[in-house]
Order: sequence, then structure tokens, then C-alpha cells
Amino acid sequence: MTTTQEAAAEPSVHDRLTEAARRLAAAGERPGQPCPDPVNAAMIRNWTQALGDTGDWSRFAPPAMIQVWSMPGLVSERGGSAADEVLRMLDDHGYTGVVATNCEQTYDRYVRVGEHLRPAMRFGGLTGPKRTAMGEGYFVTWYQTWYGEDGRRVAEMLFRVLKFRPRGRRRAQNAPVMRPVTSPDTAFFWEGAKAGELRIQRCADCGMLRHPPGPMCPSCHSLERDHVVASGRGRVHSYVVHHHPPVPGRTPPFVVAVVELEEGVRVVGNVLRCDPGEVTVGMPVRVVFENVDDELTLPQWIPADAPDDEPPCDPGEPALLEIPLTPTFVIATALATRDFNPVHHDTALARAQGTKDIFLNILTTMGLVQRAALAAAPGATLGGIAVRLGVPAYAGDTLRLYAERVDATTLKVRGAVSLGDHVTATVKLKEGV
Amino acid sequence: MSLSGRAAVVGIGATEFSKESGRSELRLAVEACLAAIRDAGLAPSDVDGLVTYTADTSSEIAVQRELGIPGLRFFSRVDYGGGAACGTVAHAAMAVATGQADAVVCYRAFNERSGHRFGQAARSGRADSTGLEFSWHLPYGFATPAAWVAMHARRYMHEYGATGEDFGRVAVAMRRHAATNPKAWFHGRPITLADHQASRWIVDPLRLLDCCQESDGGVALVVTSVERARDLPHPPAVVTAAAQGTGPDQMMMFGFYSGDLASLPAMGRVGAALWRQSGLTPADIRTAILYDHFTPFVLMQLEELGFCGRGEATDFVRDGGIELGGRLPVNPHGGQLGEAYIHGMNGIAEAVRQIRGTAVNQVDGVGHVLVTAGTGVPTSGLVLSALR
Repeated sequence: MTTTQEAAAEPSVHDRLTEAARRLAAAGERPGQPCPDPVNAAMIRNWTQALGDTGDWSRFAPPAMIQVWSMPGLVSERGGSAADEVLRMLDDHGYTGVVATNCEQTYDRYVRVGEHLRPAMRFGGLTGPKRTAMGEGYFVTWYQTWYGEDGRRVAEMLFRVLKFRPRGRRRAQNAPVMRPVTSPDTAFFWEGAKAGELRIQRCADCGMLRHPPGPMCPSCHSLERDHVVASGRGRVHSYVVHHHPPVPGRTPPFVVAVVELEEGVRVVGNVLRCDPGEVTVGMPVRVVFENVDDELTLPQWIPADAPDDEPPCDPGEPALLEIPLTPTFVIATALATRDFNPVHHDTALARAQGTKDIFLNILTTMGLVQRAALAAAPGATLGGIAVRLGVPAYAGDTLRLYAERVDATTLKVRGAVSLGDHVTATVKLKEGV
Repeated sequence: MSLSGRAAVVGIGATEFSKESGRSELRLAVEACLAAIRDAGLAPSDVDGLVTYTADTSSEIAVQRELGIPGLRFFSRVDYGGGAACGTVAHAAMAVATGQADAVVCYRAFNERSGHRFGQAARSGRADSTGLEFSWHLPYGFATPAAWVAMHARRYMHEYGATGEDFGRVAVAMRRHAATNPKAWFHGRPITLADHQASRWIVDPLRLLDCCQESDGGVALVVTSVERARDLPHPPAVVTAAAQGTGPDQMMMFGFYSGDLASLPAMGRVGAALWRQSGLTPADIRTAILYDHFTPFVLMQLEELGFCGRGEATDFVRDGGIELGGRLPVNPHGGQLGEAYIHGMNGIAEAVRQIRGTAVNQVDGVGHVLVTAGTGVPTSGLVLSALR
């Protein structure tokens, strides 16, 4: 019975991971690779020029540069992290995918030009296995800490990645979404979706609402019809979680639901932005519009309380910062942050690894969040930047940064690209340097 | 004028059931037809009517040519996938009863495993009314029969507290029956409820073992008048009732937009017609052939046909209720979960064997057998009876 063997083997992998995580956590902090250079004006100039930062950084280094000082540079021997052992174990057990999810920097004070920093690292933790949109995986967290010459901490950084088991059977996933055929009786619905409206046919004589639509009112037999725009609110009447076989345009497991609208008619769609395990009959949902391409937009569903992916401000309103992600920008910022991973400068190699193009590195994202925060709160001193990472920011796209003041010491910064949110950040402000 | 008692199934024929027949669908069709005609004690030249499924790839005239039938007086097709099964016999019986034909062969043959597999994602680009129905579903990856049935199954669980184990008991029963049927693909391979629960998700709440198998093969039936049947070699299976049915707001297999998802209104309509035509009640049925493409719909059929009340099928199938020796043995041949998936036609053949008394898992004292066709789609049903 293979199933029994697998069932017996799974806990032991999990147990070994948990044991390794416990041991690493107990080991506490250990020294990191020494910083190659002291904090210096030349690297700060490279960084500010590459990122387009026009601030005055003649005495202090930009806080978001903190990790740059301990980057090893273009050398074959990588510094490694406090989580390497666990990351390798995950690789060995099929959790070969990796995606960074969180980077949180805390600044105790700004560092001065000329200072020698001493880095240290420690393991943070392991949680999982969890079902995620990428596949089943574990979240691994570790820390880097930087100390000044007086032995006191100047900054700390939490870094979290999701190590996931890439899904097999990608065959159908890359196939396009199957397209609807339309007729003169149904075209209004699809045109409505393109316009961001969920349109429900209404009999122009007796007023009966009907979905799917048709040419004759089955109640009063009128051929006159118009439509109403639904509120977009409803409840899951029933749902399924599709696992097999592969279907074009969707990556299993995905949810299909019959949604009962508050107008009383039912509509079929996917429930997005939600773990399939969290969907229930009766769950309140609201409509969103999935823009498949220029020709096709699909009404879709998300939990009623899910945050909007739409910009917090009117899309017509200009972003605080709008950064065209030219290849030069992506490459120059990667090198200015001493990040020589080829996925940030070698297009052919990036594509061979399955990404669309070269993309922005995380150290630059941190720097751009800093830029946006200081543009929104000129003269402020940053106490920390905590970011959640979203979709990649590819060369050729445009990164639009928005900032919103939450309270006297808190800013929300959001960076969006054409694929969606690249970064959402909470920036803490404090008084004095 | 009633159709009841006018026509009978007098011949049955089939190919072997396999995963790869190695021959054309037309050849499977004519092999099955010839076997059925010979089983009836007739010759191809006696046949003057042919009926098949709209979904079948072998036309009536192609089958006529291969069999060397001089000419047909009656030919028709029945639509909506496996919902056509009993409908073919209904059409044949109507033709015989009205004198439009003397001997009609109903057939269904395909390479459903080695050729076009119905369980894969549908890709309808048809710009007809059916294509429009598919268009509300395919863009969402809602593209397989398992997924469409699972949508009803989830609601059934929600309404009545049914569980995956309740569905599993149907699969266990079918595989138990198939285990002692040498013609069944799963001959000698019963399963336990634990096997069912350990099988992988196909479309949650349906697991692999909730889904019928995929098969290559063909089955044919010969229908003629009861008068003529008396002179033929086998005891006839008299068509006591035959009905087709759809429900309100019926679609191909997308009955999600109105009414109760935890029900099968088309089957309710067929059931009511069968009881009315036959004058029988569920208590008169010793064994039933219920279309078992997916386990949850067997439970819902038991309710629609009146074998138990709404939401009570989970109790009905507990403790072997639909197994041999139970209160209503269902699909003694193993059904499509156990014997083969021939779009319901092999179930009608089993009903004929139960009437003749020649089934491998023969149920004692069978006077009437109720047979159903594919559900979730427009469907059909029969009551076949021994000649009194």
C-alpha cells in the first residue's frame, strides 16, 4: 500500500525539518561574513544615482541601504544565511520552488559614512506545511543584524521566503483561458464585463431578472429586454475545488462556485484570492473583473472582506513616484546594491529560469519604498520598513508608488506594476537621527 | 393508447469491455449489433429500424451498410450524452407499437478510453445553443462532468449532512458486484471504504473512486413487438414503461441556475412517468439499474424515484442497502463504476439478463427491473418486466 507508506513518511520529513529548525533556533546568533568595506560615499553615490534618490546623504547612509554593506559582491563563495541547512533539506524533499514574501528592516539609528559595521545572523523559524497559491510549502524566516563599532545594534532585518513544491502537470496551465462564444442574446453580458459591470438581463415588460440570458422572457414571452447592473454582492450557493484533470487557463487546485446574487439570480465563476480550503457554502463574496486580455474580461469572485487590489486612490490620480523600469534601471540598481544574481541583469538566463524577463531585486524595492516614504514625509527619519512582496517588477513595466499617511508615525506605501501589487509596505517614522 | 406492454427487448449483444479495443468505433457498433440480432434469433435482414445516441460516431446508415440490411423504415437519434440510453429503447418501442418498424436495433459503441475521453476538459467552440451553454462555464475551467456533478454533490452534502463516506458506499457496492462478474473490468478487484477515502481528489468533493471508469466497447439491443417476442428464443423483457424527461430551466449539464441543486428534477419527472405507465410502485422493484457515472447521483436517484425520502439515501445505502442481499440490489453487474462505461447501454443489457434469469449475479424473484439513464442531463428510464 503506497498510500500507507507515504502517510508514514510525511510526518518524518516534517519532524526532521522541525528538529533542524529547533536546533538552528537554539544555536542563536552567529557572526556573518564581514562587510567588505566601511560605509562609504562612493557606494552611496552609486546607489542614489541608480535609484534616482536626490536626498542629502553626505553624512548618513540611506537606511534602506543597510543590507548593501554586507553583500558579498561578485564572488563565487556566497555568504549564506542562517537558514541554509533547512533550505537545503526542503530542496531535497521536493520543495524546490522559492519566493521571497517578507522583508522587514528596523533602523535603531542611521549609520555614518566611515563606520565599520559588523553583521550577524540567526535563524528565525519554520512554519508549514501550508497550502498556498504556489503549491504546498513552508515559510522559512531568518534574521540579519548589524552592529556598530561600539557593539550596539544599528539595524536588524527579518527575511522570509516560501519554499514550495512546484506543481506538476503545468501543461494546461499555460494554455489560454477557454473563450466563450457569444450571440446577439448574450453579447451585452461580455461587453458589460469589459466595462467593469456585472450585467443581468431584465425583461423590459415584466421586469423578471434572468441569468444566463436568452431571447424570450420565459415568464411573459416578451422579446423586449434590457439589463440591470448587479451590485456585485452575493453568497456562495455551492462550490467545487478542481484538482484533476488539467484544464486550459487555470492552475489547480482552483475553486468554481455558483454564486447567488443579492438580486436573486445565480452566476458561475471562480473564487479568487482565497485558499480553496476557506471557501464555504453561504460565504459572502463580491465581484471583481479578471482582465484576460484586450478581448475578454471575466466577472470573478473574491471573499466579501478581501482587500481590493485596485489602487487606493483614483487610477487617474498620478502616483507619488512613477518609475519606468528600463533594463538600465533594473541592472544599474541591482549592481548598485551589490546584488550580482544574474536574474537581475542577464535576460537570457532569467528567461531560462522561467521568468518573463529580468526583474527588480529586493534591495532596490526597499530603497524605492524609502524614496516614496521620504517624498511623502519630507525630512522624516525612518524607524523601519516592513514589506510584503507581491508580483515581480519586470523590465519594461512601470512601477507606480503610492503613499498614504496612517498616523503621525506610520505610512503605508504601495508599489504597483501592470501585473498587480509588487510591494505593500508599512513605514515607521521617528523623531531625530 | 399506452406504450406499456406493447414491445419487448428480445436480443442483447456486446463486445468485450476494455481500455483499448484496437478497432474502429463502427466495427464495435456492428459487432455488438450482429451479436444482439443473433441473440434474438433474427437475421440482419429482419431489422428495419436503428436508433442510437446523437453522440455516437457511427451513423444508422453506416451500420445498415455493414450489416447488409436492405433498407430501414425507421431511424432516430437521442441527444444529451448518457441521458439517451433508455431513450433509444423508448423510441424503438414507440416505432414498434405504432407499426413504424418491426424490429429495431438500439446501439452505442465507442472508444471512450483509447479515443475521445469524456472526462477531459470540454472544448466547445460551437456557436449553437449548446455552445452558448458551455460558454458560461468553460472560461472558468469548469469543464468536466466530474466538476459539474461535484457542484450538485456539495449542495447535497450541505442540505442533508451527507459525507464523502456516503458517496463511497456506492462505489464499494458497485465494485463488490463487479468483483464476481467475469465480464467486468474490475472483476476480482473489490474495494473497501478506506480505499475510497484514500483515493485522490478529482474535483472535491469527488474522489477518483467516485467517478466511473472509462471504457472501450459496444452494446446493442433488439426491440420488437411482444407478439413476435413470444416466438423468439429468449424470454422477452417487456417494456412496461418508457419515458424521457427534462426539468425546469434545463441545460445540457449545467442545472445550477434555479431550483434545488440537491435534486435531479429531470429524473423525478421520468420516475413519475414510469410509475404512472406501469402502475407499479418502488415496492414492486426487486433490483434496479441506476446510472452510476458519479456516486452522488445514485443517492439522489434513489430519492427522485421514491425508493426513499429526500435526504434519506445516505441511510438507504448504509449496511449494504444497495448491495446483493440488501433491500434493493442496485447494478448487480457492477454498473459503470465496476463493469464498464458504455454510456448506460450495458445496464439495459443487465436488466434484460435479470428478467431472463441469466445474470451472473442473479437476483431472486425478479419480475420488474427499473433502469435509468445519465443524470444531470436530460434523461430517460425504463421498467422492463417478465412476460406474464
